Amino acid sequence: MGSPRILLVDDEEALTRYLAPILERAGFSVVVAHDGNTAFRYVQEQPVDLIVLDLLLPDLDGREVCRRLRAAGIWTPVIMLTRVTRTLDRVISLEEGADDYLSKPFDPHELIARIRAVLRRAQKFPQRPPLHTASKLRTGDLVLDRRARRVCKGGKVLELTPRALALLEYLMLHPDEMLARERLLDAVWGWRHPVATRAVDVRIAEIRKALEDDPERPVYIETVTGLGYRFLAPVEPLVE
Amino acid sequence: MKRRKSFGWIFLASVFFLTALGIGVVLQHVLAPPPIYQLRIRADLGTWVLLISNVVLLGGLGILAGLWWTRRLLWESLARAQQEYARAKHRFIYRLDHEVRKHLAVLRAQIASLSDVAEEGSLETAQADMLAQVERLDRLLSQLRELAELKEREMERLPVDVVSLLQQLMETIRAYPEYARRQVRLMLPHAPWPLPPLWGDRDLLFQAFFNLLDNAIKFTRAGDWIEIRAFEDGRSVVIEVADTGCAIDPQDLPHIFEELYRGSNARGREGSGLGLALVKAVLEHHDGMVSVRSRAGQGTFFTIRFPSAS
Repeated sequence: MGSPRILLVDDEEALTRYLAPILERAGFSVVVAHDGNTAFRYVQEQPVDLIVLDLLLPDLDGREVCRRLRAAGIWTPVIMLTRVTRTLDRVISLEEGADDYLSKPFDPHELIARIRAVLRRAQKFPQRPPLHTASKLRTGDLVLDRRARRVCKGGKVLELTPRALALLEYLMLHPDEMLARERLLDAVWGWRHPVATRAVDVRIAEIRKALEDDPERPVYIETVTGLGYRFLAPVEPLVE
Repeated sequence: MKRRKSFGWIFLASVFFLTALGIGVVLQHVLAPPPIYQLRIRADLGTWVLLISNVVLLGGLGILAGLWWTRRLLWESLARAQQEYARAKHRFIYRLDHEVRKHLAVLRAQIASLSDVAEEGSLETAQADMLAQVERLDRLLSQLRELAELKEREMERLPVDVVSLLQQLMETIRAYPEYARRQVRLMLPHAPWPLPPLWGDRDLLFQAFFNLLDNAIKFTRAGDWIEIRAFEDGRSVVIEVADTGCAIDPQDLPHIFEELYRGSNARGREGSGLGLALVKAVLEHHDGMVSVRSRAGQGTFFTIRFPSAS
């Protein structure tokens, strides 16, 4: 198998000019598009392994490109360059069908790590709709209902604070990925205050207690010492 | 606005109505003092006409005057609010411009010196410095956005144990190297009952208290005292952060909670100028209040009040 083909879509030429070579050095082969229509046509004609899609494009915005691809039955993984923190964003994200979100400005190495994680998931479950589009996420007897904001284990509803639930949701949307505290804080709380990382630990403790997950021998959430957390159990989308 | 206007109307109209009624009754007594009051008032058509015409005339005048008066008041306050808003916006843009340019100036200098650096081979240090600079700028803008989003953000409304919150704050602060050189004390009531819980978002409250304490550490020197005191007085839960550090200039005092405001004693110190603005925004979100007192040569204290949950 050759190097994965990435379509990089951003109208900012100053960014793509620097970013494309970095991605190439990381072992990907990169194609660049500067607007949504070109990107959409390109993907229809030539299959790529992953699309990095900016949200604000001159013609079709990133959301629309993604929606049209999904409507055309093309399930190429998409990493959208925007942030998702508010409930409203989360509801939109259910419909647009991206696989992951990253906010600008980002560290190029972070983008590379995300690309690898999404490609890994896509290889494991080819042609499966991304977890972000599922209204329910399931692992074993644990089911998280993203619309109803409810978690059930073995049919019993678990008591979780809204933010712990949002955190568990984020963990389940990114299974088998090392999630740094700062990233969780940015994604779930929408904050970048370094002192607040302690808040992440408090909510993780709450989730573990509710799930009866032993931190020493975790089934669900593993601590990555000094860095963050990883959701261990395999997660599948439940589509109704 | 609309509700206040109609209140003004109703109030003024009813005042005039009652006055008219009063005058009507008094006039009737003066003109013809009745032997039996009730009989007389029923029988005399002239009194009724006098009374009703009084009411209609004065009531109508009252409504007109009330209308005119409330309209004028409204216009004045609206114009004042608009002016104040325009001024605040201008101040904010001016400060933002200043902050962003400050970071960009450093970045420009770093880029300009890059060619010299490459020859000496310390490219990595230069790269790290530039990255740190970009991150400072990123943090500034992120915090501004957080502040703007605070009002529409999902906020938890759950009971928050103030005691454990403040204790966790102390633990966090202990990790700071400056902590060892200050006398930091947390004073909590034990008798006759502990502090009641607050109702709100624990993480936001933690950040607000942290910012206040961080501020206290920033503006104190080695050996200074910092006290965090919490108590309740039946109506509110009060938390005070007091220090014996350098005082806030009286001229700065009214502005320190404004976004990006930098007091005269904050120049040359690291900081975004957003810490106290966040404190204020978080407290307003919790129906709380923050006030500050400062005396030259003695120190500063911030007082936070929350309405009691019970």
